[in-house]
Amino acid sequence: MSITRFVKPEGLPAFLAHLSKDARVLAPVVKPADKRSVVFEPWKEGKEFTLEKATVPAKAAVLPQCETLVSYRKVKDKANPQNVTLELDDTPQAETTVVFAARPCDARGYVTLDRPYLKGPIADPYYKARREKLTVITLTCNSGCNTCFCHWVGGGPSSPEGSDILMTELSDGYILQGITPKGDALLEGSGLDDGADRFKEMEDVRKAAWATLVKAPNLKDAPAKVAAKFTDVDFWTRETDRCLSCGACTYFCPTCYCFNITDEGEATSEKGGRRLRTWDNCMSPLFTREASGHNTRMEKALRMRNRVSHKFSTYPENWGTFSCNGCGRCISNCPVSLDIRQIVLDAINADKAAK
Amino acid sequence: MRIGVFICHCGSNIAGTVDCAKVAENARMFPDVVLAKDIMYTCAEPGQAAIEAAIHEHKLDGVVVASCSPRIHEPTFRRTVERAGLNRYMFEMANIREHVSWIGKDKEANTNKATELVQIAVAKLRNDKPLKAKSFDVNKRVLIIGAGVAGIQAALDCAEGGIQVVLVEREATIGGKMAKLDKTFPTVDCSACILGPKMVDVAQHPNITLYAKSEVEDISGYVGNFSIKIRKRATYVDWDKCTGCGACTEKCPAKKTPDTFNELVGPTTAINIAFPQAIPKKAVINPEHCRQLTKGKCGVCAKVCPTGAINYEQQDEIITEEVGCIVAATGYDLMDWTVYEEYGGGRYPDVVTSLQYERLLSASGPTEGHIKRPSDGKEPKNIVFIQCVGSRDRSIGRPYCSGFCCMYTAKQAILTKDHIPDSKSYVFYMDIRANGKIYDEFTRRAMEEYGTEYIRGRVSKIYPDGEGHLIVRGVDTLLGEGVEIKADLVVLAVGVEAAKGSPKLAEKLRISYDSYGFFLESHVKLKPVETNTAGVYLAGVCQGVKDIPASVAQGSAAAAKVLGLFSKDKLENDPQIASVDMKRCVDCGKCIRCCPFGAIKEVEFRGKMYAQVIETVCQGCGLCTSTCPQGAIQLSHATDNQILAEVNTLCQC
Amino acid sequence: MPVLNGKELRIVGFLCNWCSYGGADTAGTARAGQPTDLRIIRVPCSGRIDPLFIVKALLNGADGVLVSGCHPRDCHYAAGNFYARRRLEVLKQFLPVLGIDDRRFEYTWVSASEGQRWQHVVQTFTKRIHDLGPAPKLEDPEPLLKVVDMALTSLRPLGTGQKNKLDELKAAIKAKLPELEVVIGWQQGYDAARTVPLFMRTPEDVDKLVWGPFNVNNPAVYLPQYKGKKVGIVVKGCDAKSVVELLQENLINREDVTIFAMPCEGTLDMARVNQELGRYTTIDKVEYDEVGVTITADGKEHRFCMNDFAQGKCYGCTMPTAVLSDTLIGTPTEVKPGPYTPPELALLDSMSLDERLAFWRGQMERCIRCYACRNACPMCVCRDYCIAESREPHWISQEDSTRDKLFFQTIHAMHLAGRCTGCGECQRACPVGIPILALRQQIARAVGQLFDGYKSGVDPEAVPPLLGYEVEEKNIHEREWK
Repeated sequence: MSITRFVKPEGLPAFLAHLSKDARVLAPVVKPADKRSVVFEPWKEGKEFTLEKATVPAKAAVLPQCETLVSYRKVKDKANPQNVTLELDDTPQAETTVVFAARPCDARGYVTLDRPYLKGPIADPYYKARREKLTVITLTCNSGCNTCFCHWVGGGPSSPEGSDILMTELSDGYILQGITPKGDALLEGSGLDDGADRFKEMEDVRKAAWATLVKAPNLKDAPAKVAAKFTDVDFWTRETDRCLSCGACTYFCPTCYCFNITDEGEATSEKGGRRLRTWDNCMSPLFTREASGHNTRMEKALRMRNRVSHKFSTYPENWGTFSCNGCGRCISNCPVSLDIRQIVLDAINADKAAK
Repeated sequence: MRIGVFICHCGSNIAGTVDCAKVAENARMFPDVVLAKDIMYTCAEPGQAAIEAAIHEHKLDGVVVASCSPRIHEPTFRRTVERAGLNRYMFEMANIREHVSWIGKDKEANTNKATELVQIAVAKLRNDKPLKAKSFDVNKRVLIIGAGVAGIQAALDCAEGGIQVVLVEREATIGGKMAKLDKTFPTVDCSACILGPKMVDVAQHPNITLYAKSEVEDISGYVGNFSIKIRKRATYVDWDKCTGCGACTEKCPAKKTPDTFNELVGPTTAINIAFPQAIPKKAVINPEHCRQLTKGKCGVCAKVCPTGAINYEQQDEIITEEVGCIVAATGYDLMDWTVYEEYGGGRYPDVVTSLQYERLLSASGPTEGHIKRPSDGKEPKNIVFIQCVGSRDRSIGRPYCSGFCCMYTAKQAILTKDHIPDSKSYVFYMDIRANGKIYDEFTRRAMEEYGTEYIRGRVSKIYPDGEGHLIVRGVDTLLGEGVEIKADLVVLAVGVEAAKGSPKLAEKLRISYDSYGFFLESHVKLKPVETNTAGVYLAGVCQGVKDIPASVAQGSAAAAKVLGLFSKDKLENDPQIASVDMKRCVDCGKCIRCCPFGAIKEVEFRGKMYAQVIETVCQGCGLCTSTCPQGAIQLSHATDNQILAEVNTLCQC
Repeated sequence: MPVLNGKELRIVGFLCNWCSYGGADTAGTARAGQPTDLRIIRVPCSGRIDPLFIVKALLNGADGVLVSGCHPRDCHYAAGNFYARRRLEVLKQFLPVLGIDDRRFEYTWVSASEGQRWQHVVQTFTKRIHDLGPAPKLEDPEPLLKVVDMALTSLRPLGTGQKNKLDELKAAIKAKLPELEVVIGWQQGYDAARTVPLFMRTPEDVDKLVWGPFNVNNPAVYLPQYKGKKVGIVVKGCDAKSVVELLQENLINREDVTIFAMPCEGTLDMARVNQELGRYTTIDKVEYDEVGVTITADGKEHRFCMNDFAQGKCYGCTMPTAVLSDTLIGTPTEVKPGPYTPPELALLDSMSLDERLAFWRGQMERCIRCYACRNACPMCVCRDYCIAESREPHWISQEDSTRDKLFFQTIHAMHLAGRCTGCGECQRACPVGIPILALRQQIARAVGQLFDGYKSGVDPEAVPPLLGYEVEEKNIHEREWK
């Protein structure tokens, strides 16, 4: 029996204040606009927040859009300018961080990222430093949504994977359930009321959420079927006719982890030079452009093939599970509403369609 | 990179207000700078030698010199680094004299500013790439625009040097203003006698093609290969047939045609030959006054012409000539003096310009060398000369001195006395400017030998007394009292202005002109013949006021420049031109649309179209680079990255 | 080297080599004393000065930027300064929308002989900048988030276009289809409350074609990639403007493109529609009437009246029917032009300069540089070689600073000067809803005001104003330096 706590809506700011004593708390914040959006931002006392699903997932907590891998400075000897000493700093930028009110799909994203970044032949020290300092408090979803498909890919509205604490909205407040020892410890020290008596209610809410979901197709054959389509360029061309080759799908994806490395700044300047790691985007022609100018993926069809294959075929090949968590952000944020679900289904059903 | 920085003291010119040693010390901290020192005179021989030595000793692959304007010494230092084995474009200059030491006295601020200018030069240099010039053939023909004495001199010198000359003259005859003069100072030589033979030489020289009554319509191309469109105006006379016999001018009934050659002193005929020594000596019909052309009936000249040269149907003709360089020698015009109400504003016939007076003095003029005043043809006895009419007068926007008026006025006063021994001349002047060879002596003669009365002061009013005289009222500032002279004739020394249409021609030549329309030389002291457009040279008053000997000298100087240029069979282009990164080009054609020189064309490569720069045509303005949104076309030596490096150096907070 | 504290401000000059740099030399030779703030960058011609250099400087710490070239008609390169004059003037009118005081940027003409004038220009400009004081930095103000007021009145009644003869259109496309590689239109998206671009290659594809208020995408964005191939496109009035602009710029060939058009009655602002619908699982049905749409989602009815929920651009639209088409089904509706300021621009207009800076700071912070704005823009033709990501040239740092993000938007806007047809796809595509359209709208307004009401994408023969010039500009006047 895990540790549970209960908090009334009006108690949340105090809870966040408590969390932010020792950590940077990233909480969803509404950005009002004609097209409003929700983004994770460092919370501070008095700042408004929301519990809506964020437009942008909290991936940046472990993999920032841009981070300095190494900063370097060349320092000249005034007497002899030919003598130059190099100062290097490659300390990972890692703060103790609590992500508050992520959704289960976001939380599962961290697990998806952990595999290549931590479990491969080399653990990425920058990622590792941040991951170790991360606590994830996840709000379970009370309903499905038109673009969500977490339950197709092994998740669900209350999937605990990747979360330290699961939080569920009840009629009059929120129940927080420790999932990991880290989560338990946090709850124990939170000073919140015990929520054990609301446990049953919590389970009912979570079950009800499942009931709102549209029936999921069976994706068991997806890895093989998507792989089988690899050489069918016509298939990918048709599927990507309307793709604009922007980076919305990848940049809003909680599991896309490709990066680019560039040097900026001037080693001899006061600020020094920075070797940056920034999100990269396999939808962009730059992703595979070689120094010669040759590009192995000139066509957007080939780029989309890479993205879909990676999520539904090659990642599963390496790690035994999809690297898509079904958050649906690539669909909802796509300027042309390109639907990855449809591409996967078309791949699966290609044989039938052919017959 | 290994960059050397050299800070010039320029004696005290820079060091007086800039701490050069401090600038060098600061520069040592800049990226890739391995050496920075201050030198007394970088451009002098020891300075250049020091730079060369440092390049060898420190294995420098780029040099920054902080000194005067690159417009002065960039070529010098480029040669310096080249001698030491570097590519000449691996060099940058920081202008810490004209832009720093000479315009500010605050040493701390100046030193800081100089340091930053060095810093941006270093930043740019670090993005420099060695550039290599391409060579191309030179068309060894020269276009000379304007056939006054400067243009004639340039043409003859070039022709003698074996160069094919295309000489274009707007008027019907060559000779320019000098041909209108009676005598020339200070020797009182007959103008026609000394210019005439040169004009004949032009006509006869096998290397000179003369287009009279013609104007330059359009110029395209670049040094070595200009293409010129010349508009040959209709003269309504077939010059191939015209022998210049003058039968037509005798019989022409339109005898009240204004005579522009004679400065409108007296009329001429609608068909005429400017003057007896005209070159080419061919008749021209003035279409505004020809009865056949205006009213459709007359045809007298056609009837009398023994060779049947008259052609009323003649049209302007456009001729294309290809040349390798151009000399502009378009001379000057007199300003419109009628703005001076105090001189009658043009209402009194006996107030004439000095050039009109020359025609009255000239034996080939309308009065056949007898001085007769325009109003009644009487010989004037009291003649007043007024200097500086439209010169050195800010009130009408002519603050400059016309240079030669003092001298010709003295000459005219002397000639007046020669023509009419019992006459008396008065000269109102501001200052006497007589700083040429035997010039001051000459004006002295006018005063002392010829009894010309020089009055230092301005004329405030001229008015007729009703008895055929003009009352000239002025002030003698030396005596401090008013003067009033009863004059029979008043001669105005009207100031010079750039020839009409100069700015238009400058635009065609792509050269600059000053606010008065005079063409701008490359450097006021050291490059008085060159312009900032390669292959375009200047001669004569079009560049600035000067007298005949100076015009002739500049004509010869321009010819020397032409001959120098043509001493090479091939020219090298300036490699600071644009080039296209084909990978980035999407063939939208924006660069092609904007290029002022037509230097970009579309080419096909592997089935796709791209923009491509024609290297010999590109002039390196960079308009294409700022037009191309994807940065596919970059101007070498002023690439986006180079300018960005400079901006980023200055703006980084 | 930092700016001398207290004494100097950061003033950057871009001077053409032939005239103004020479003029500054002449001033120096004449010992014409000047303030020391100015740092001069020498360029061959004022035409070389990409306005973006100026923005770059102003965003990164310049307190003032001064550009000087040869006097008009006096360009060493014949026409460089004529082009520069247009571009710089457009920039000057653009800067305030970013929250940058346009007095911080000035351009002028000084010839090599005008040393005195140069001295006067430097003195005057330096004094002006000192009077203005140090320029505010983008990061200084507290982020300001203001929302565009979408309560607009349309120039014409908006509707759902359901009376259009879609069948006729389909028949026309089918008839032409054999000659064409593809015809681009719209089809239903992943649910009935949205459409997505449709690529018709077979008659069966044509049957999927839909027409109505959900047809928000601008299909013209796909045309340049088909250059040289025979393609068809179905357009609304606004889409046609993009097609025309592409023709103007030689990015597509007229003979290759077959344009099918129907009069448009307006399209929905999907941002507000989605917000109103909220989180839902399934669309039950979508019903159209003449003035609006009723969407039932998860059993709940939502009513969208076109007059209340149209895209901002639809309210001011005067060209609901394509200006250029090969097959027009239906009768073009005449709309009288009326007063209309795009809502995004109206919001910026209502703010002070400081507020605008704070506004952009607040907006751009959340940009994650997915470049959906760029890729959805039909006029963004650099595509694979956008300078946002290139190193050669290296305009933008990969650092995710708000400044660089705003700078990219400026690049996009400046590159659209005289080209943007206001289709609004950039803003619609932005997943985080940044009202970037305002920047393009300001550019378009400036271009219209400067060049006799020029509108992009109306006349295929017209030269885009920044690719041309007039020797005497009617609306650009030399500034007095007094």
